[in-house]
Amino acid sequence: MDTFLQACLNGLMIGGFYSLMGMGQNIIFGVMKIINFCHGEMLMVGMYLTYVFHAWLGIDPYLAVPLVALTMFLFGALFQHTLITPSLGTHSFTNLLFLTVGMGVLLTNVAQVIFSSDYRTITTGYSSTILSFGPVTVALPKVVSFGVLIVISIALFFFLKYTPVGKKIRAVSQNPIGAQVVGIDSKKIYMITYGLGAALAGVSGALLTLFYVINPTAGSNFGFRALIVVVVGGLGSIPGAFFAGIFLGLLETLVSLFIGPSLRTLVVFATFIVILVIRQNILLRRA
Amino acid sequence: MLRVEGLNAGYGAVQVLWDVGFHVDDGEIIAVLGSNGAGKTTTVRAVTGLLKPMSGSVQLDGRELCGRKSRAILDAGIVQVPEGRQLFTEMTVYENLELGAFSPEAKAKLAESLEVCYGYFPRLKERERQAAGTLSGGEQQMVAVARALIGLPKLLILDEPSLGLAPNVVDDILTVAHGMAKQQGLSVILVEQDVTKALSTADRGYVIENGRVALSGTASELSADEHVKRAYLGI
Repeated sequence: MDTFLQACLNGLMIGGFYSLMGMGQNIIFGVMKIINFCHGEMLMVGMYLTYVFHAWLGIDPYLAVPLVALTMFLFGALFQHTLITPSLGTHSFTNLLFLTVGMGVLLTNVAQVIFSSDYRTITTGYSSTILSFGPVTVALPKVVSFGVLIVISIALFFFLKYTPVGKKIRAVSQNPIGAQVVGIDSKKIYMITYGLGAALAGVSGALLTLFYVINPTAGSNFGFRALIVVVVGGLGSIPGAFFAGIFLGLLETLVSLFIGPSLRTLVVFATFIVILVIRQNILLRRA
Repeated sequence: MLRVEGLNAGYGAVQVLWDVGFHVDDGEIIAVLGSNGAGKTTTVRAVTGLLKPMSGSVQLDGRELCGRKSRAILDAGIVQVPEGRQLFTEMTVYENLELGAFSPEAKAKLAESLEVCYGYFPRLKERERQAAGTLSGGEQQMVAVARALIGLPKLLILDEPSLGLAPNVVDDILTVAHGMAKQQGLSVILVEQDVTKALSTADRGYVIENGRVALSGTASELSADEHVKRAYLGI
Protein backbone atom coordinates (compact mmCIF):
# COMPACT_ATOMS: atom_id res chain seq x y z
CA MET A 1 0.00 0.00 0.00
CA ASP A 2 2.80 2.39 0.91
CA THR A 3 4.64 1.75 -2.34
CA PHE A 4 1.38 2.28 -4.20
CA LEU A 5 0.86 5.67 -2.55
CA GLN A 6 4.48 6.55 -3.18
CA ALA A 7 4.11 5.65 -6.87
CA CYS A 8 0.93 7.73 -7.13
CA LEU A 9 2.69 10.72 -5.63
CA ASN A 10 5.65 10.36 -7.99
CA GLY A 11 3.28 9.96 -10.92
CA LEU A 12 1.41 13.09 -9.95
CA MET A 13 4.66 15.08 -9.76
CA ILE A 14 5.98 13.97 -13.16
CA GLY A 15 2.49 14.24 -14.66
CA GLY A 16 2.43 17.93 -13.79
CA PHE A 17 5.36 18.44 -16.16
CA TYR A 18 3.62 16.54 -18.95
CA SER A 19 0.62 18.80 -18.39
CA LEU A 20 2.64 21.99 -18.64
CA MET A 21 4.38 20.77 -21.80
CA GLY A 22 1.09 19.59 -23.28
CA MET A 23 -0.63 22.92 -22.59
CA GLY A 24 2.11 24.81 -24.47
CA GLN A 25 1.93 22.43 -27.41
CA ASN A 26 -1.86 22.70 -27.30
CA ILE A 27 -2.12 26.48 -27.60
CA ILE A 28 0.44 26.47 -30.43
CA PHE A 29 -1.55 23.81 -32.27
CA GLY A 30 -4.85 25.53 -31.53
CA VAL A 31 -3.81 28.86 -33.01
CA MET A 32 -1.54 27.90 -35.90
CA LYS A 33 -2.64 24.29 -36.56
CA ILE A 34 0.99 23.21 -36.52
CA ILE A 35 2.77 20.59 -34.45
CA ASN A 36 5.78 22.02 -32.71
CA PHE A 37 8.38 19.29 -33.05
CA CYS A 38 11.03 21.18 -31.06
CA HIS A 39 8.90 21.50 -27.92
CA GLY A 40 11.06 19.04 -25.96
CA GLU A 41 14.24 20.78 -27.08
CA MET A 42 12.90 24.08 -25.79
CA LEU A 43 12.47 22.39 -22.40
CA MET A 44 16.13 21.36 -22.61
CA VAL A 45 17.13 24.96 -23.40
CA GLY A 46 15.17 26.03 -20.32
CA MET A 47 17.24 23.58 -18.27
CA TYR A 48 20.55 24.92 -19.56
CA LEU A 49 19.45 28.52 -19.09
CA THR A 50 18.66 27.73 -15.47
CA TYR A 51 22.02 25.99 -15.18
CA VAL A 52 23.80 29.06 -16.59
CA PHE A 53 21.91 31.45 -14.31
CA HIS A 54 22.83 29.26 -11.33
CA ALA A 55 26.41 28.26 -12.12
CA TRP A 56 27.60 31.54 -13.62
CA LEU A 57 25.48 34.16 -11.87
CA GLY A 58 24.56 32.37 -8.66
CA ILE A 59 20.83 32.76 -9.13
CA ASP A 60 18.63 30.22 -7.34
CA PRO A 61 16.80 27.93 -9.84
CA TYR A 62 13.39 29.05 -8.61
CA LEU A 63 14.31 32.72 -8.87
CA ALA A 64 15.56 31.96 -12.39
CA VAL A 65 12.07 30.78 -13.46
CA PRO A 66 10.81 34.25 -14.49
CA LEU A 67 14.10 34.98 -16.28
CA VAL A 68 13.88 31.69 -18.19
CA ALA A 69 10.24 32.40 -19.03
CA LEU A 70 11.10 35.83 -20.41
CA THR A 71 14.12 34.60 -22.41
CA MET A 72 12.18 31.72 -23.90
CA PHE A 73 9.20 33.95 -24.69
CA LEU A 74 11.46 36.28 -26.66
CA PHE A 75 13.17 33.36 -28.37
CA GLY A 76 9.79 31.83 -29.32
CA ALA A 77 8.31 35.12 -30.55
CA LEU A 78 11.40 35.75 -32.68
CA PHE A 79 11.43 32.22 -34.13
CA GLN A 80 7.73 32.51 -34.94
CA HIS A 81 7.94 35.92 -36.56
CA THR A 82 11.08 35.43 -38.63
CA LEU A 83 10.74 31.80 -39.69
CA ILE A 84 7.41 30.13 -38.89
CA THR A 85 4.93 32.87 -39.90
CA PRO A 86 6.51 33.33 -43.37
CA SER A 87 6.29 29.54 -43.88
CA LEU A 88 2.57 29.27 -43.10
CA GLY A 89 0.25 28.92 -46.07
CA THR A 90 0.71 26.57 -48.98
CA HIS A 91 2.79 23.45 -48.26
CA SER A 92 2.90 24.63 -44.68
CA PHE A 93 2.70 21.14 -43.19
CA THR A 94 5.93 19.86 -44.75
CA ASN A 95 7.67 23.25 -44.40
CA LEU A 96 6.88 23.44 -40.71
CA LEU A 97 7.76 19.80 -40.12
CA PHE A 98 11.27 20.50 -41.41
CA LEU A 99 11.48 23.88 -39.74
CA THR A 100 10.54 22.75 -36.23
CA VAL A 101 12.38 19.41 -36.41
CA GLY A 102 15.39 21.31 -37.74
CA MET A 103 15.22 23.83 -34.92
CA GLY A 104 15.16 20.93 -32.45
CA VAL A 105 18.31 19.41 -33.98
CA LEU A 106 19.98 22.81 -33.99
CA LEU A 107 19.20 23.48 -30.32
CA THR A 108 20.45 20.03 -29.28
CA ASN A 109 23.70 20.50 -31.18
CA VAL A 110 24.30 24.02 -29.93
CA ALA A 111 23.83 22.71 -26.39
CA GLN A 112 26.30 19.95 -27.13
CA VAL A 113 28.89 22.39 -28.50
CA ILE A 114 28.61 24.74 -25.53
CA PHE A 115 28.12 22.28 -22.67
CA SER A 116 29.34 18.94 -24.17
CA SER A 117 27.13 15.91 -23.66
CA ASP A 118 28.18 15.46 -20.01
CA TYR A 119 25.33 15.13 -17.56
CA ARG A 120 25.03 18.17 -15.36
CA THR A 121 23.08 18.76 -12.17
CA ILE A 122 22.23 21.70 -9.96
CA THR A 123 22.65 21.38 -6.21
CA THR A 124 21.42 23.91 -3.70
CA GLY A 125 21.27 23.98 0.08
CA TYR A 126 17.76 22.55 0.09
CA SER A 127 17.91 20.21 -2.90
CA SER A 128 18.31 17.06 -0.83
CA THR A 129 15.76 17.99 1.86
CA ILE A 130 13.18 15.23 2.16
CA LEU A 131 9.63 15.80 3.33
CA SER A 132 7.47 12.99 4.66
CA PHE A 133 3.70 12.85 4.53
CA GLY A 134 2.72 9.85 6.65
CA PRO A 135 4.05 6.78 4.87
CA VAL A 136 5.31 8.57 1.78
CA THR A 137 8.35 10.78 1.30
CA VAL A 138 9.18 13.29 -1.36
CA ALA A 139 12.10 15.63 -2.06
CA LEU A 140 11.40 19.28 -1.24
CA PRO A 141 12.26 20.59 -4.76
CA LYS A 142 9.67 18.24 -6.28
CA VAL A 143 6.97 19.67 -4.04
CA VAL A 144 7.98 23.26 -4.75
CA SER A 145 8.18 22.63 -8.50
CA PHE A 146 4.80 20.94 -8.51
CA GLY A 147 3.30 23.86 -6.61
CA VAL A 148 4.79 26.37 -9.06
CA LEU A 149 3.55 24.49 -12.09
CA ILE A 150 0.04 24.21 -10.67
CA VAL A 151 0.03 27.98 -10.14
CA ILE A 152 1.28 28.52 -13.72
CA SER A 153 -1.39 26.18 -15.13
CA ILE A 154 -4.15 28.03 -13.32
CA ALA A 155 -2.71 31.39 -14.34
CA LEU A 156 -2.62 30.25 -17.99
CA PHE A 157 -6.24 29.15 -17.81
CA PHE A 158 -7.35 32.53 -16.43
CA PHE A 159 -5.12 34.42 -18.86
CA LEU A 160 -6.79 32.73 -21.84
CA LYS A 161 -10.27 33.08 -20.39
CA TYR A 162 -10.34 36.64 -19.13
CA THR A 163 -7.62 38.88 -20.56
CA PRO A 164 -8.05 40.75 -23.88
CA VAL A 165 -4.99 39.03 -25.39
CA GLY A 166 -6.21 35.62 -24.16
CA LYS A 167 -9.58 36.20 -25.81
CA LYS A 168 -7.88 37.14 -29.06
CA ILE A 169 -5.79 33.96 -28.91
CA ARG A 170 -8.97 31.91 -28.52
CA ALA A 171 -10.68 33.89 -31.29
CA VAL A 172 -7.86 33.21 -33.78
CA SER A 173 -7.81 29.52 -32.88
CA GLN A 174 -11.59 29.17 -33.28
CA ASN A 175 -12.11 31.19 -36.44
CA PRO A 176 -9.23 32.90 -38.26
CA ILE A 177 -11.55 34.60 -40.77
CA GLY A 178 -13.81 35.87 -38.00
CA ALA A 179 -10.71 37.17 -36.23
CA GLN A 180 -9.66 39.09 -39.33
CA VAL A 181 -13.17 40.51 -39.70
CA VAL A 182 -12.94 42.04 -36.20
CA GLY A 183 -9.47 43.42 -36.90
CA ILE A 184 -7.31 41.05 -34.85
CA ASP A 185 -3.68 41.11 -36.01
CA SER A 186 -3.13 37.38 -36.37
CA LYS A 187 0.65 37.67 -36.90
CA LYS A 188 0.97 39.38 -33.55
CA ILE A 189 -1.19 36.71 -31.92
CA TYR A 190 1.00 34.02 -33.53
CA MET A 191 4.08 35.63 -31.96
CA ILE A 192 2.52 35.84 -28.52
CA THR A 193 1.18 32.28 -28.73
CA TYR A 194 4.43 30.68 -29.81
CA GLY A 195 6.30 32.79 -27.28
CA LEU A 196 3.97 31.53 -24.56
CA GLY A 197 4.41 27.93 -25.67
CA ALA A 198 8.18 28.34 -25.62
CA ALA A 199 8.04 30.00 -22.19
CA LEU A 200 5.95 27.12 -20.80
CA ALA A 201 8.46 24.59 -22.17
CA GLY A 202 11.39 26.60 -20.79
CA VAL A 203 9.76 26.91 -17.38
CA SER A 204 9.11 23.16 -17.34
CA GLY A 205 12.84 22.70 -17.90
CA ALA A 206 13.77 25.18 -15.17
CA LEU A 207 11.50 23.46 -12.66
CA LEU A 208 13.04 20.05 -13.45
CA THR A 209 16.68 21.02 -12.89
CA LEU A 210 16.88 20.23 -9.18
CA PHE A 211 15.99 16.55 -9.59
CA TYR A 212 16.60 15.67 -13.22
CA VAL A 213 19.91 15.40 -15.06
CA ILE A 214 20.63 18.13 -17.58
CA ASN A 215 21.93 16.98 -20.95
CA PRO A 216 21.38 17.95 -24.59
CA THR A 217 18.76 15.23 -25.22
CA ALA A 218 16.92 15.55 -21.89
CA GLY A 219 13.90 17.14 -23.60
CA SER A 220 12.95 14.47 -26.10
CA ASN A 221 11.00 12.29 -23.62
CA PHE A 222 8.97 15.30 -22.59
CA GLY A 223 8.45 16.42 -26.17
CA PHE A 224 6.90 13.09 -27.15
CA ARG A 225 4.70 13.04 -24.09
CA ALA A 226 3.47 16.55 -24.82
CA LEU A 227 2.12 15.23 -28.13
CA ILE A 228 0.33 12.37 -26.37
CA VAL A 229 -1.14 14.83 -23.87
CA VAL A 230 -2.51 17.01 -26.67
CA VAL A 231 -4.12 14.09 -28.46
CA VAL A 232 -5.54 12.43 -25.35
CA GLY A 233 -6.68 15.65 -23.68
CA GLY A 234 -8.36 17.06 -26.73
CA LEU A 235 -7.14 19.74 -29.09
CA GLY A 236 -7.60 23.25 -27.81
CA SER A 237 -8.62 22.24 -24.29
CA ILE A 238 -6.39 23.55 -21.50
CA PRO A 239 -8.11 21.62 -18.65
CA GLY A 240 -8.10 18.55 -20.93
CA ALA A 241 -4.34 18.84 -21.41
CA PHE A 242 -3.85 19.34 -17.69
CA PHE A 243 -5.71 16.18 -16.68
CA ALA A 244 -4.26 14.15 -19.54
CA GLY A 245 -0.76 15.03 -18.34
CA ILE A 246 -1.52 13.94 -14.78
CA PHE A 247 -3.13 10.73 -16.11
CA LEU A 248 -0.04 9.98 -18.20
CA GLY A 249 2.29 10.54 -15.24
CA LEU A 250 0.24 8.25 -12.98
CA LEU A 251 0.00 5.60 -15.70
CA GLU A 252 3.78 5.57 -16.14
CA THR A 253 4.68 5.19 -12.50
CA LEU A 254 1.96 2.61 -11.81
CA VAL A 255 3.07 0.55 -14.81
CA SER A 256 6.64 0.74 -13.48
CA LEU A 257 5.44 -0.47 -10.11
CA PHE A 258 3.12 -3.29 -11.16
CA ILE A 259 4.51 -4.42 -14.52
CA GLY A 260 8.11 -3.28 -14.46
CA PRO A 261 10.11 -0.17 -15.33
CA SER A 262 11.44 -1.62 -18.58
CA LEU A 263 7.92 -1.88 -20.02
CA ARG A 264 6.92 1.63 -18.96
CA THR A 265 7.37 3.39 -22.29
CA LEU A 266 5.93 0.46 -24.21
CA VAL A 267 2.72 0.47 -22.17
CA VAL A 268 2.41 4.25 -22.41
CA PHE A 269 2.58 4.23 -26.19
CA ALA A 270 0.34 1.16 -26.45
CA THR A 271 -2.28 2.96 -24.34
CA PHE A 272 -1.92 5.97 -26.58
CA ILE A 273 -2.58 3.83 -29.67
CA VAL A 274 -5.61 2.21 -28.03
CA ILE A 275 -7.03 5.64 -27.14
CA LEU A 276 -6.49 6.82 -30.71
CA VAL A 277 -8.30 3.78 -32.11
CA ILE A 278 -11.23 4.15 -29.72
CA ARG A 279 -11.49 7.84 -30.44
CA GLN A 280 -11.37 7.25 -34.19
CA ASN A 281 -14.22 4.73 -33.89
CA ILE A 282 -16.33 7.15 -31.87
CA LEU A 283 -15.73 9.88 -34.42
CA LEU A 284 -16.60 7.57 -37.31
CA ARG A 285 -19.81 6.47 -35.62
CA ARG A 286 -20.78 10.08 -35.02
CA ALA A 287 -20.13 11.07 -38.63
CA MET B 1 -19.63 58.15 -49.18
CA LEU B 2 -18.25 54.93 -50.74
CA ARG B 3 -17.22 55.00 -54.37
CA VAL B 4 -15.83 51.89 -56.03
CA GLU B 5 -14.44 52.19 -59.55
CA GLY B 6 -12.77 49.84 -61.98
CA LEU B 7 -12.31 47.11 -59.40
CA ASN B 8 -10.51 44.02 -60.73
CA ALA B 9 -9.90 41.13 -58.40
CA GLY B 10 -9.43 37.37 -58.38
CA TYR B 11 -7.70 34.39 -56.88
CA GLY B 12 -4.19 33.68 -58.16
CA ALA B 13 -4.25 33.92 -61.93
CA VAL B 14 -8.04 33.57 -62.12
CA GLN B 15 -9.73 36.94 -62.42
CA VAL B 16 -13.23 37.00 -60.97
CA LEU B 17 -14.20 40.69 -60.94
CA TRP B 18 -13.94 42.84 -64.06
CA ASP B 19 -14.17 46.61 -63.81
CA VAL B 20 -16.77 46.59 -61.02
CA GLY B 21 -18.07 49.99 -59.97
CA PHE B 22 -20.79 51.22 -57.63
CA HIS B 23 -21.39 53.86 -55.00
CA VAL B 24 -23.28 54.25 -51.73
CA ASP B 25 -24.46 57.55 -50.22
CA ASP B 26 -24.86 58.41 -46.55
CA GLY B 27 -27.86 56.66 -45.03
CA GLU B 28 -28.46 54.72 -48.20
CA ILE B 29 -29.04 50.98 -48.56
CA ILE B 30 -27.84 49.43 -51.76
CA ALA B 31 -28.39 45.84 -52.81
CA VAL B 32 -25.72 43.86 -54.62
CA LEU B 33 -27.57 41.08 -56.39
CA GLY B 34 -26.58 38.08 -58.41
CA SER B 35 -26.69 34.33 -58.55
CA ASN B 36 -24.28 31.92 -56.91
CA GLY B 37 -20.76 32.41 -58.22
CA ALA B 38 -21.48 35.77 -59.87
CA GLY B 39 -18.79 37.50 -57.79
CA LYS B 40 -20.77 39.05 -54.93
CA THR B 41 -18.66 37.72 -52.07
CA THR B 42 -15.46 38.39 -54.01
CA THR B 43 -16.62 42.01 -54.28
CA VAL B 44 -17.10 42.13 -50.49
CA ARG B 45 -13.71 40.55 -49.89
CA ALA B 46 -11.96 42.97 -52.27
CA VAL B 47 -13.65 46.04 -50.76
CA THR B 48 -12.91 44.98 -47.15
CA GLY B 49 -9.32 43.97 -47.80
CA LEU B 50 -9.70 40.26 -47.08
CA LEU B 51 -8.60 39.87 -50.69
CA LYS B 52 -6.05 42.21 -52.26
CA PRO B 53 -7.56 43.66 -55.46
CA MET B 54 -5.55 43.54 -58.70
CA SER B 55 -6.44 47.14 -59.52
CA GLY B 56 -9.15 49.72 -59.07
CA SER B 57 -10.27 52.34 -56.62
CA VAL B 58 -12.20 52.06 -53.34
CA GLN B 59 -12.78 55.49 -51.82
CA LEU B 60 -14.50 56.15 -48.51
CA ASP B 61 -15.33 59.84 -48.06
CA GLY B 62 -12.62 60.64 -50.59
CA ARG B 63 -9.94 58.50 -48.92
CA GLU B 64 -8.39 55.82 -51.10
CA LEU B 65 -8.53 52.40 -49.44
CA CYS B 66 -7.88 50.05 -52.35
CA GLY B 67 -5.08 47.61 -51.52
CA ARG B 68 -4.96 48.57 -47.85
CA LYS B 69 -4.93 45.90 -45.18
CA SER B 70 -8.23 44.68 -43.73
CA ARG B 71 -7.49 46.31 -40.38
CA ALA B 72 -6.97 49.74 -42.00
CA ILE B 73 -10.25 49.42 -43.88
CA LEU B 74 -11.98 48.40 -40.66
CA ASP B 75 -10.51 51.44 -38.90
CA ALA B 76 -11.81 53.63 -41.73
CA GLY B 77 -15.33 52.50 -40.77
CA ILE B 78 -16.23 49.68 -43.17
CA VAL B 79 -17.41 46.71 -41.10
CA GLN B 80 -18.82 43.51 -42.53
CA VAL B 81 -21.07 40.71 -41.42
CA PRO B 82 -19.27 37.99 -43.36
CA GLU B 83 -20.85 35.19 -45.32
CA GLY B 84 -21.35 32.20 -43.04
CA ARG B 85 -21.24 34.52 -39.97
CA GLN B 86 -17.72 33.44 -38.89
CA LEU B 87 -18.49 33.54 -35.18
CA PHE B 88 -16.24 32.27 -32.40
CA THR B 89 -18.45 29.29 -31.71
CA GLU B 90 -16.91 28.13 -28.42
CA MET B 91 -16.94 31.60 -26.91
CA THR B 92 -19.98 33.15 -25.27
CA VAL B 93 -22.28 35.55 -27.06
CA TYR B 94 -20.94 38.31 -24.82
CA GLU B 95 -17.32 37.49 -25.68
CA ASN B 96 -18.15 37.49 -29.39
CA LEU B 97 -19.75 40.92 -29.11
CA GLU B 98 -16.91 42.25 -26.98
CA LEU B 99 -14.40 41.27 -29.68
CA GLY B 100 -16.41 43.36 -32.14
CA ALA B 101 -15.20 46.50 -30.34
CA PHE B 102 -11.87 46.72 -32.17
CA SER B 103 -11.22 50.47 -31.89
CA PRO B 104 -10.62 52.55 -28.74
CA GLU B 105 -13.87 54.49 -29.39
CA ALA B 106 -15.84 51.27 -29.78
CA LYS B 107 -14.28 49.88 -26.59
CA ALA B 108 -15.20 53.04 -24.69
CA LYS B 109 -18.78 52.83 -25.92
CA LEU B 110 -19.11 49.06 -25.48
CA ALA B 111 -21.70 49.13 -22.68
CA GLU B 112 -23.85 51.62 -24.57
CA SER B 113 -23.58 49.70 -27.86
CA LEU B 114 -24.49 46.46 -26.10
CA GLU B 115 -27.67 48.05 -24.75
CA VAL B 116 -28.58 49.21 -28.25
CA CYS B 117 -27.96 45.75 -29.72
CA TYR B 118 -29.90 44.00 -26.96
CA GLY B 119 -32.70 46.45 -27.71
CA TYR B 120 -32.73 45.32 -31.34
CA PHE B 121 -32.26 41.63 -30.54
CA PRO B 122 -33.60 40.92 -27.02
CA ARG B 123 -32.90 37.20 -27.55
CA LEU B 124 -29.17 37.90 -27.40
CA LYS B 125 -29.44 39.33 -23.91
CA GLU B 126 -31.02 36.08 -22.70
CA ARG B 127 -28.29 34.09 -24.43
CA GLU B 128 -25.43 36.35 -23.28
CA ARG B 129 -23.57 33.63 -21.30
CA GLN B 130 -24.17 30.82 -23.79
CA ALA B 131 -21.57 29.57 -26.27
CA ALA B 132 -22.34 31.12 -29.66
CA GLY B 133 -22.17 27.70 -31.35
CA THR B 134 -25.16 26.45 -29.32
CA LEU B 135 -27.49 29.13 -30.73
CA SER B 136 -29.90 28.62 -33.63
CA GLY B 137 -28.87 29.83 -37.09
CA GLY B 138 -31.03 32.92 -36.81
CA GLU B 139 -29.67 33.84 -33.40
CA GLN B 140 -26.11 33.33 -34.67
CA GLN B 141 -26.84 35.74 -37.52
CA MET B 142 -28.08 38.26 -34.94
CA VAL B 143 -24.80 37.85 -33.04
CA ALA B 144 -22.87 38.45 -36.26
CA VAL B 145 -24.86 41.62 -37.01
CA ALA B 146 -24.54 42.87 -33.42
CA ARG B 147 -20.79 42.14 -33.44
CA ALA B 148 -20.44 44.34 -36.52
CA LEU B 149 -22.60 47.14 -35.08
CA ILE B 150 -20.50 47.21 -31.91
CA GLY B 151 -17.56 48.21 -34.12
CA LEU B 152 -19.47 51.49 -34.79
CA PRO B 153 -19.45 51.23 -38.60
CA LYS B 154 -20.02 54.09 -41.02
CA LEU B 155 -20.69 51.52 -43.70
CA LEU B 156 -22.12 48.10 -42.88
CA ILE B 157 -21.80 45.26 -45.37
CA LEU B 158 -24.19 42.35 -44.91
CA ASP B 159 -23.03 39.35 -46.94
CA GLU B 160 -25.91 36.93 -47.61
CA PRO B 161 -27.75 37.40 -44.31
CA SER B 162 -30.64 35.24 -45.56
CA LEU B 163 -28.52 32.14 -46.22
CA GLY B 164 -30.26 29.18 -44.58
CA LEU B 165 -32.45 31.27 -42.27
CA ALA B 166 -36.19 31.42 -41.67
CA PRO B 167 -37.85 34.37 -43.50
CA ASN B 168 -39.04 36.11 -40.32
CA VAL B 169 -35.49 36.15 -38.88
CA VAL B 170 -34.20 37.74 -42.09
CA ASP B 171 -36.98 40.33 -41.87
CA ASP B 172 -35.94 41.21 -38.29
CA ILE B 173 -32.35 41.74 -39.38
CA LEU B 174 -33.28 43.78 -42.44
CA THR B 175 -35.63 45.92 -40.34
CA VAL B 176 -32.77 46.72 -37.95
CA ALA B 177 -30.46 47.63 -40.85
CA HIS B 178 -33.18 49.75 -42.45
CA GLY B 179 -33.87 51.57 -39.19
CA MET B 180 -30.19 52.33 -38.61
CA ALA B 181 -29.80 53.63 -42.15
CA LYS B 182 -32.80 55.89 -42.09
CA GLN B 183 -32.56 57.16 -38.50
CA GLN B 184 -28.81 57.30 -37.91
CA GLY B 185 -27.42 57.71 -41.41
CA LEU B 186 -25.62 54.36 -41.51
CA SER B 187 -24.84 53.29 -45.05
CA VAL B 188 -25.56 49.65 -45.85
CA ILE B 189 -24.52 47.28 -48.61
CA LEU B 190 -26.83 44.30 -48.71
CA VAL B 191 -25.41 41.39 -50.69
CA GLU B 192 -28.17 38.94 -51.50
CA GLN B 193 -29.34 36.09 -53.67
CA ASP B 194 -32.90 36.62 -52.45
CA VAL B 195 -33.71 39.44 -54.86
CA THR B 196 -37.30 40.03 -53.72
CA LYS B 197 -36.22 40.56 -50.10
CA ALA B 198 -33.25 42.69 -51.03
CA LEU B 199 -35.18 45.00 -53.32
CA SER B 200 -37.94 45.48 -50.76
CA THR B 201 -35.37 46.90 -48.31
CA ALA B 202 -32.82 48.65 -50.53
CA ASP B 203 -33.00 52.07 -52.15
CA ARG B 204 -30.94 51.09 -55.18
CA GLY B 205 -29.35 47.95 -56.51
CA TYR B 206 -26.62 46.55 -58.72
CA VAL B 207 -26.87 43.22 -60.50
CA ILE B 208 -23.59 41.36 -60.90
CA GLU B 209 -23.28 38.72 -63.61
CA ASN B 210 -20.05 36.88 -64.46
CA GLY B 211 -18.02 39.29 -62.36
CA ARG B 212 -19.31 42.44 -64.05
CA VAL B 213 -22.01 44.95 -63.12
CA ALA B 214 -24.71 44.01 -65.62
CA LEU B 215 -27.43 46.36 -64.47
CA SER B 216 -28.11 49.05 -61.92
CA GLY B 217 -30.97 51.29 -60.87
CA THR B 218 -33.40 52.13 -58.12
CA ALA B 219 -35.11 49.27 -56.36
CA SER B 220 -38.40 49.92 -58.18
CA GLU B 221 -36.66 50.15 -61.57
CA LEU B 222 -34.92 46.83 -60.98
CA SER B 223 -38.09 45.15 -59.73
CA ALA B 224 -39.84 46.23 -62.94
CA ASP B 225 -36.97 45.22 -65.22
CA GLU B 226 -37.83 42.39 -67.60
CA HIS B 227 -34.39 40.74 -67.33
CA VAL B 228 -34.41 40.85 -63.54
CA LYS B 229 -37.94 39.47 -63.48
CA ARG B 230 -37.04 36.59 -65.76
CA ALA B 231 -33.62 35.73 -64.35
CA TYR B 232 -34.06 36.36 -60.62
CA LEU B 233 -37.69 36.73 -59.70
CA GLY B 234 -39.03 33.82 -61.69
CA ILE B 235 -41.89 35.88 -63.11
